[in-house]
Amino acid sequence: MLQCIFLLSDSGEVMLEKQLTGHRVDRSICAWYWDHAISQGDQLQPVIASPTHYLFQIVREGITFLACSQVEMPPLMGIEFLCRVADVLADYLGGLNEDVIKDNFVIVYELMDEMIDNGFPLTTEPNILREMIAAPNIVSKMLSVVTGNSSNVNETLPAATALCVPWRTSDPKYANNEVYVDLVEEMDAVINRDGTLVKCEIYGEVQVNSHLSGLPDLTLSFANPSILDDMRFHPCVRYRPWESHQILSFVPPDGQFRLMSYRVRKLKSIPLYLKPQLTSDAGTCRLSLLVGMRNDPGKTVDSIDVQFQLPPCVSTADLSSNCGTVNILSNKTCSWSIGRIPKDKTPSLSGTLVLEPGLQRLHVFPTFQLGFRIMGIALSGLQIDKLDLKNLPHRPYKGFRALTRAGHYEVRA
Amino acid sequence: MAPPGQAQRSPSPSQPSGKGEVSDLKAQLRQLAGSRAPGVDDSKRDLFKKVISYMTVGIDVSSVFGEMVMCSATSDIVLKKMCYLYVGNYAKGNPDLALLTINFLQRDCKDEDPMIRGLALRSLCSLRVANLVEYLVGPLGSGLRDGNSYVRTVAVIGILKLYHISAVTCIDADFPAMLKRLMLNDPDTQVIANCLAALQEIWTLEASNSEEASREREALLSKPLIYYFLNRIKEFSEWAQSLVLELVAKYVPSDNNEIFDIMNLLEDRLQHANGAVVLATIKVFLQLTLSMNDVHQQVYERIKAPLLTLVSSGSPEQSYAVLSHLHLLVMRAPILFSSDYKHFYCQYNEPFYVKKLKLEMLTAVANESNTYEIVTELCEYAANVDIPMARESIRAVGKIALQQYDVNAIVDRLLQFLEMEKDYVTAETLVLVKDLLRKYPQWSQDCIAVVGNISSKNVQEPKAKAALIWMLGEYSQDMHDAPYILESLIENWEDEHSSEVRLHLLTAVMKCFFKRPPETQKALGDALAAGLADFHQDVHDRALFYYRLLQYNVTVAERVVNPPKQAVSVFADTQSSEIKDRIFDEFNSLSVVYQKPSYMFTDKEHRGPFEFSDELGNLSIGADAADTVVPAHQVDANDKDLLLSTSETEKEDGRALSSNGSAYSAPLYDAPASVPASQIQSDLVNLTSGLSGHVPAASLAIDDLLGLGLSVTPAPAPSPPSLSLNPKAVLDPGTFQQKWRQLPISLTQEFSVSPQGIAALITPQALLRHMQGHSIQCIASGGQSPNFKFFFFAQKAEESSNFLVECIVNTSSAKAQVKIKADDQSMSQTFSTLFQSALSKFGVQ
Repeated sequence: MLQCIFLLSDSGEVMLEKQLTGHRVDRSICAWYWDHAISQGDQLQPVIASPTHYLFQIVREGITFLACSQVEMPPLMGIEFLCRVADVLADYLGGLNEDVIKDNFVIVYELMDEMIDNGFPLTTEPNILREMIAAPNIVSKMLSVVTGNSSNVNETLPAATALCVPWRTSDPKYANNEVYVDLVEEMDAVINRDGTLVKCEIYGEVQVNSHLSGLPDLTLSFANPSILDDMRFHPCVRYRPWESHQILSFVPPDGQFRLMSYRVRKLKSIPLYLKPQLTSDAGTCRLSLLVGMRNDPGKTVDSIDVQFQLPPCVSTADLSSNCGTVNILSNKTCSWSIGRIPKDKTPSLSGTLVLEPGLQRLHVFPTFQLGFRIMGIALSGLQIDKLDLKNLPHRPYKGFRALTRAGHYEVRA
Repeated sequence: MAPPGQAQRSPSPSQPSGKGEVSDLKAQLRQLAGSRAPGVDDSKRDLFKKVISYMTVGIDVSSVFGEMVMCSATSDIVLKKMCYLYVGNYAKGNPDLALLTINFLQRDCKDEDPMIRGLALRSLCSLRVANLVEYLVGPLGSGLRDGNSYVRTVAVIGILKLYHISAVTCIDADFPAMLKRLMLNDPDTQVIANCLAALQEIWTLEASNSEEASREREALLSKPLIYYFLNRIKEFSEWAQSLVLELVAKYVPSDNNEIFDIMNLLEDRLQHANGAVVLATIKVFLQLTLSMNDVHQQVYERIKAPLLTLVSSGSPEQSYAVLSHLHLLVMRAPILFSSDYKHFYCQYNEPFYVKKLKLEMLTAVANESNTYEIVTELCEYAANVDIPMARESIRAVGKIALQQYDVNAIVDRLLQFLEMEKDYVTAETLVLVKDLLRKYPQWSQDCIAVVGNISSKNVQEPKAKAALIWMLGEYSQDMHDAPYILESLIENWEDEHSSEVRLHLLTAVMKCFFKRPPETQKALGDALAAGLADFHQDVHDRALFYYRLLQYNVTVAERVVNPPKQAVSVFADTQSSEIKDRIFDEFNSLSVVYQKPSYMFTDKEHRGPFEFSDELGNLSIGADAADTVVPAHQVDANDKDLLLSTSETEKEDGRALSSNGSAYSAPLYDAPASVPASQIQSDLVNLTSGLSGHVPAASLAIDDLLGLGLSVTPAPAPSPPSLSLNPKAVLDPGTFQQKWRQLPISLTQEFSVSPQGIAALITPQALLRHMQGHSIQCIASGGQSPNFKFFFFAQKAEESSNFLVECIVNTSSAKAQVKIKADDQSMSQTFSTLFQSALSKFGVQ
């Protein structure tokens, strides 16, 4: 049971305070939190025991969402709820930052009022909230100018609360009916210094953007559902068809949503390789990196970049590459952005690191993080078989896309 | 309102400089209040916005309360909302002005628009002014009957708010019964869920003073109700689902079929997108199958995948919370996770607290088949940039080695660490090598060869230095240089700041002396001299002890200082299995994240030195924190009384209590039932203290004296030397555990418990409160009918001599098995009698 929610700016200022129960939480807790946060740096845990309260905190775009409780409660409930609040606010206000929250604090209060009462979360479903409180977008601004009615509260209560599909707006109407299905995958891999693959897995999401009139019924099937290891579904997915035939059957919410997330383990092939070489000699260290294709996925790989942290014992570094740009930031983070791999040469980066005086050779080695993006393919091999739509007046437009990008893709030196 | 520091941090342009703006606002609002001109709502809205933004920044704008209320007569809903927000914030501080708002709020509660009805009702209940509760009952009652479900959901929570303002009003209006009816009949699931949340809280808080409420609370766990919720679970919102699942986790099914039914019904919840629902479901599964070993294992297999997915999806904050739970499960059943070890590999850019959890899990799941890979992975981290991480991973390697898998390879690895020539790596490794040698003395040859090459100058950390010195002493016959290294260390005695190192140095040089006397004699002399002159008491004492021992007999000294050692087979675990079990019982709660059972952080005395908010007591649900303060504790017991009272006879305190008529229950083993002449004097002393009102029983004694009760009362039974206890005894769980381990059992007894007592023992909390009334504090309790287990402690009033009790109550046999441990063994019999008499009164009063 949460007692109070604070929104703090990136300088620790309280932007918003929403007391939820009769037991007022004094603002001084924020000062305590801020001092604690500064003393902990990036080691700050999401659940903290302060002298007076248990605090849950998440940080989004520099804004800290802080919730206080004095009683035992499921920690994920607190954290999940804050995440939802952040999502809903970002959705409503078109992004999160200090100014947008200060400009729209009345709306933020209104939203909080509907999302949680007396510490119990009520509804966080964006569609329902949208029907209770209109978003401050251009259309509503126009309307208010034209009609002279500037209230952002809808006149009627959402009908969806009484409907059997609470996630869907009651009766949307579109001139162009369209639905897009995106497979978005992130590859996590760890590669050892000798090039062996320690671990490789993919976390993927099926994202759907639906603009369909009425109450459509959709079925989505995969060509090879057996490769999936574990999945989680949006509440709209019916479980029975999935259990018996691995078919996703659902009535979609309106707009963009995450239909399903999944994991594929024990993958064997990675698209890119990175070969680091470090040789120390008398106070300097020679570094060379080579990046190239390992298994061609058949589509262009772009946005390739390499990031690594120089060890603290390095005093200066002089690095250059044969393609792309190399930047060394003040905190000794080095980033090399390559973009696409050119046809005629293999991208390489080389240079010397000068060690601090007294050190002969390098003892600690950096870990290289590789980033990339491949459009048009899901590296797990998952393929959409077909999408059927029922209960629609016209034939809608269907679109499919796939994208794979690097998650935690790291190579050790 | 806001601490000044915050206001200074980021002065925003909208922030006013002083009071001037507020009074400006006040004047403008006053102008608008009566106006009915067109467009007045827009200007009102701008003003309201300003007021609210001042409030948000933390400026006190309570002075415009009256004007705000005057302006609130409007049909504009945004204006109303802002006004509600303002009123809710300041009503508590201005109860008189709050009365002004009642009128317009009550009117809005009858508005046509359900949205306004709901909002008005919510604001009305959020005023939280005690003397206005009479205005709440009517609107709440009609709110519960409202045709619109939105209004009903608000009304249900409103009743809970009312209960917290004035419990009596809420109960008198019979709201709980109405909520129950609504919970069973309402078509809207959000209303049902809110009813459940409200009833759980109300009945839990009421249970202590009303039989009926505690019956109702039990009834929430009855089969029909649980099935009612379970069958509709998919209709509930995700948050309400978590609430229902929490309830189901407490339900005890009658047979195995029922367990399987429930699990089948809930299985798809494991794939819900909301992590809170998934964890709550896992809790239900784990709790249901606790007694079925094989199924319990299958449950682990089943929940593995969803947990691992939850960890890899979602924000870092979510994955941390899930990881903590995964950590708990891995620690309970490492074998089941041994094939998933790769999931616990650390990513480079994860925060340290996540890496630490993962390292612990890697250590736990290591077995014959995967040790090689895990240790290889850990060695990667040792070369990592991140120094704390490198340290932790070296420790993890050592722990795996102590688990006896593949020791050969690990020792090689550890020795390689020593060759890396990094201070912190060397330091951590030395500590580990020492532990390893204590367990596997057979490796000494290999280790010593490498350790011997380490220059003691490169080792600075006290722990590592102590480890190195220990090895120098222990293996001095094999290490050629040992006496000389020790000698050079002793020469620098003055520069050695850590007393731990100096202590080790003394012992090591002694051991070395026994093995290689001629080479060490000088060093030993220097060491003893330096030790005797040391300002640190322990070092001084040890040096003196060695000196006298050597003086007495060298062979005896050798037997004392350097006896043949047995290899250590198991190192003590830091966290007892009992605590682990308790944390497991509290799955899906903060306990898991903190890795402490809840009593260690929710009970008042464990919360550390800071003062907690006084309002906490009313807030807790189901926890026993609420009742830890017995009024008696606030009265400073007069030491003198207690001293005197030890010479007096024991008296049935039920009588004292009934005559007192309050819940006052300080220890009352002092009032005389009959007063021998010799004791009159002491009673007269009691008289003064009795007059001061501290000890009601004492005033009873005065009645006896003055009322010539002298000859009337029968002679008392021969009483043991009585004992008075400190009503405010404090003991932290760590000390308790330590004492419990150290002390021998001084008494084991079996008492019978009265039938009334058994009846009152629905939950362990009932007995806790009772015993607290007798100055016997509970430190931990648990169990379910028929077996309850308690750990109590008590302290003597005038000295800090502790009694520790383990008490197992079996309600079906009405027996209590008691084990007593005491600092002062001679008093344990007395304490036992006292304990028995306290226990026997349980439920009788």
